[in-house]
Amino acid sequence: MEAPQYVAARVQRALAEDERTNELGILVDIRGGQLFLRGRVAGAEHRALIANVAGEAAPGLTVRNEITVLDVRDPCEEEKL
Amino acid sequence: MRELRIAAVGDVHLDESLRGSYRKRLHDIEERADVLLLAGDLTRHGTLEEGQVVADEFHDLPIPVVAVLGNHDHHSDHPAEIAAMLRDAGIAVLHDDAIVLDIHGVRLGVVGGKGFGGGYAGKCASDFGEPEIKAFVGHTKRIADRWRVALKELDADRRIVLSHYSPVKDTLAGEPLEIYPFLGSYLLAEAVDAEGADLIVHGHAHAGTEKGVTPGGIRVRNVALPVLGHAYGIYCL
Repeated sequence: MEAPQYVAARVQRALAEDERTNELGILVDIRGGQLFLRGRVAGAEHRALIANVAGEAAPGLTVRNEITVLDVRDPCEEEKL
Repeated sequence: MRELRIAAVGDVHLDESLRGSYRKRLHDIEERADVLLLAGDLTRHGTLEEGQVVADEFHDLPIPVVAVLGNHDHHSDHPAEIAAMLRDAGIAVLHDDAIVLDIHGVRLGVVGGKGFGGGYAGKCASDFGEPEIKAFVGHTKRIADRWRVALKELDADRRIVLSHYSPVKDTLAGEPLEIYPFLGSYLLAEAVDAEGADLIVHGHAHAGTEKGVTPGGIRVRNVALPVLGHAYGIYCL
């Protein structure tokens, strides 16, 4: 069996290098046959693509997409420096 | 001298699917801020099509817009073309140089560029050994040297440094320690501390935190969109 660390590294590399995603900021964690994805992205489409690319890079694992889509709020406070 | 309100955001990572999403957040920006700074990673893949989305989202705003590019904006090897598209849209793009804006009689100087990595004092790569390591560190050293010169020559009432990579560790808190050398370099902070500035703005570290300070006492703000959670931060100088 391939060590989970190498699978996680392969998924992380795929997310960065696959032109569908080019995503560097997602945490990839493998626990008990499941692949967890965590982080924040700007859109729902990008969130789904990340799960697809991760799943292709780690066949046989159940992908748990725990990435949240950023809800960008209006600026509401200013900071005086 | 009047106070300046600096709006800033980075890492908006726009592509065709997000077209129009940012523009609607900017409709009243002139009532909130005097200038908008964009701290790089404006695109996802660095394609010309995404560059055009960025140009369309930020063009023709009622306040000046100053941008630097990030690593994502370099990914498709078209950074010069993307910078030209942004300039055609009226956005100033810094590439290790400076711009001085007259804002209601106050001269705001902005120095900056992409920045680069290498790590932080005592735990960083050195200009030593294989040519690949020398090239990595040398890139950051040349950038820091250009910022130092640009700051030295800057004639302005207020001074801001705009970067993509982080000059300090403070604003990386939350990121894995192992990737700090790829998130920024202390050489950037050292250059700015040597010449002085009122504020440093950067992005790049999505899991980092907003507020930090250089060893010399200059305030640093990480304005990566996932960190802010707001369309932009506003800082008054």
